[in-house]
Amino acid sequence: MIEVKLHDIGEGMSEGEILHYFIKVGDTVKMDQPLVEVQTDKVAAELSAPKAGIVKEILAEPGETVKVGTTLVIIEEEGSNSLQSKKPVQIDRGKEKVLETGGKAQVATVAMEDRTHLRRVLASPYTRKIARENEINIEEVVGTGPNGRVLDQDLYAILEGTKQPSRQKKTEKLMPELRSSSYFSEPKVEVRTIPFIGRRKQIAVKMTESVYTIPHVTHFEEAELTSLIDLKNLSKKDGVSFSLSAYFIKTLVIALKEHPIFNSTLDEKNEVIRLHDDYHIGLATNTPDGLIVPVLKHADQKSILQIDEEMKKLTRRAQNNELKGEDLRGGTFTISNVGPLGSTGATPIINAPQTALLAIHKTKRRPVVTKDDQIAIGEVMTMSMSFDHRIADGAQAVAFTNRWVEMLEDPKRLIMELV
Amino acid sequence: MINLEKQSKTKQMTLVQAVNDALRVALESDANVLLLGEDIGRNGGVFRATDGLQEAFGEDRVIDTPLSESGIVGTGVGLAISGSKPIVEMQFMGFIYPAFEQIMTHVTRIRMRSMGTYSVPIVIRAPYGAGIRAPEIHSDSVEAFFTHMPGIKVVCPSSPADAKGLLLASLADPDPVLFMESLRLYRGEREEVPVEGYEIEIGKGKKVLEGNDVTLLAWGAMVPIIKKAASTVAKEGISCDVIDLRTLFPLDRDMIAESVQKTGKAVIVHEAHSTGGLGNDLVTLINDTSFLYMKAPVERVTGFDVPPPLGSLEDHFLPTESRVIAAIKRVIQF
Repeated sequence: MIEVKLHDIGEGMSEGEILHYFIKVGDTVKMDQPLVEVQTDKVAAELSAPKAGIVKEILAEPGETVKVGTTLVIIEEEGSNSLQSKKPVQIDRGKEKVLETGGKAQVATVAMEDRTHLRRVLASPYTRKIARENEINIEEVVGTGPNGRVLDQDLYAILEGTKQPSRQKKTEKLMPELRSSSYFSEPKVEVRTIPFIGRRKQIAVKMTESVYTIPHVTHFEEAELTSLIDLKNLSKKDGVSFSLSAYFIKTLVIALKEHPIFNSTLDEKNEVIRLHDDYHIGLATNTPDGLIVPVLKHADQKSILQIDEEMKKLTRRAQNNELKGEDLRGGTFTISNVGPLGSTGATPIINAPQTALLAIHKTKRRPVVTKDDQIAIGEVMTMSMSFDHRIADGAQAVAFTNRWVEMLEDPKRLIMELV
Repeated sequence: MINLEKQSKTKQMTLVQAVNDALRVALESDANVLLLGEDIGRNGGVFRATDGLQEAFGEDRVIDTPLSESGIVGTGVGLAISGSKPIVEMQFMGFIYPAFEQIMTHVTRIRMRSMGTYSVPIVIRAPYGAGIRAPEIHSDSVEAFFTHMPGIKVVCPSSPADAKGLLLASLADPDPVLFMESLRLYRGEREEVPVEGYEIEIGKGKKVLEGNDVTLLAWGAMVPIIKKAASTVAKEGISCDVIDLRTLFPLDRDMIAESVQKTGKAVIVHEAHSTGGLGNDLVTLINDTSFLYMKAPVERVTGFDVPPPLGSLEDHFLPTESRVIAAIKRVIQF
């Protein structure tokens, strides 16, 4: 028997939610064949079969959140069966009962039982004795005691027929008294519910932590992109196509190099602000499952076209839920481009422990005053930058965005940097 | 053996007086009985347990010895295997360590070693325990050293009448007995004790109170504590089955098992240190005999793993009624 356990897929994860199984009990699986998809704090990961064999048991249900180390699937190796197997864990349990009770009728029922439903329950030895004497399968009983412990009265209730042994969900177990009260028996308005789990829950946890820990300050700025758009159109004619976002990232890295405080993370425990030499730009990406932030690594070492290409790849993988843990780690600064969706201003929440997050909003055609005091039509983009006021101050933040805006408004300035 | 229930003449005695009385009965009824110990003769013993006995029975039967616990017990061994019935006194249980070698290598083994040819019918009396503000080594409660070694019985009474009957039974036993007398109980209470000689069977516990909710187990000085705790929690509707073990080796397995199988819960109280204490053996006994009857983990209330401290710190070292009550509540509310 091989137990496939949930292992630590990312750095120090402690639990994961079962999304779905690719297999069912009885299936023959090959080595490395995907068995189950698990949503961790950051990614949906597949666990694969460590050996070839037949799926004997599936122990956690989809939707369930399980701790690292929990056995999810039991595979029986090919060429063995449960009777010959060296570690017949469940069979042992049956034997134990045989020895202790010595009752033949019970031996038969225990041995024939569908073992996929067995689970560990909390119960005192005396309660187990009552269950055994009355041939109640205690694994099937939902306890009403502390931590769901099965109590004597739970068994007596079953014996009296006032309770059915069942494997109800935890939510129902939580409030046994309330469930039977008149409040719950009154006709109630039907509401649709969405499970608050998985990535949604992770986003909630992270955002709450960030907003409650970091004193956020957001300042707003705008940039006139007419020249940049001209450049983009010009290069397109010459067969070079880059997205504005790629240009934004390229220039952003230059601004960050000059204002390194915004390419930092705060390590509160060790009381240091870490200024990073790597420029790993997080790209806040909207997906059907919610916000996720893949990281574009070493943006400073890449050309605009390389950035463009990699950005598209990361976004596509995010949409298809194909990101790996590695893709999500190590960000030093996050950029959130909500322009394509609309919006001209926001107060974004920082992707802790980073120092700042820059949201780019919609570019609109607007009247602008030109250098020679004429009113003209300009392509004006708004942006919002939130920063951690513990680490940086407003003046630094404004200087930083000013520098960036310079390069956005006058692409020639970028060339100066590249010389 | 004289039946205790049929004893008509009784007298009020403290535990130490009952011991003295038992020794007197023993010396009177059997010419082979000898007492050995430090200051037990002319001085009548550090706690007056042998008061007046040398006067009555002479220096040949109540013998003052040098300060040599090893020598006292060693002499006792020789006397015992050659037909005498020595009763030796260790002034305090904490002073028994020099005699430990004699006890472990000779007292407990001669029957085995001689394949039953010789036995050592010796009684070693050892006042034990904290609670009277004695200096530190005078307060030890190290029964576990002796219950661990097969070949010696360990007896520990908690009342004057039990003390007399158990001491006489110990003397009648063909094998060695360590007889522990609580310093704290020596003059703790008086009760009617039969004047004549009688024996209380070794190896049998005493049901002090009958109850259904939880079993309390203790011996010696801790018995009054569990009785008090039981009567306090009784006011809250918790009924305790209270057992005085009386003999620590061999344990009254039947009485303990019967009680915990009835209540499903147990609290063990002893003043000896927790680690390696006899309470651990009682937990094992309950596990071995009654596991499927248990409704809560067994609780132990014990002395701490430090030597008994000096002065009023003893009060914090010894199990108190409130600690016992807290343990009872934990098992009841489990």
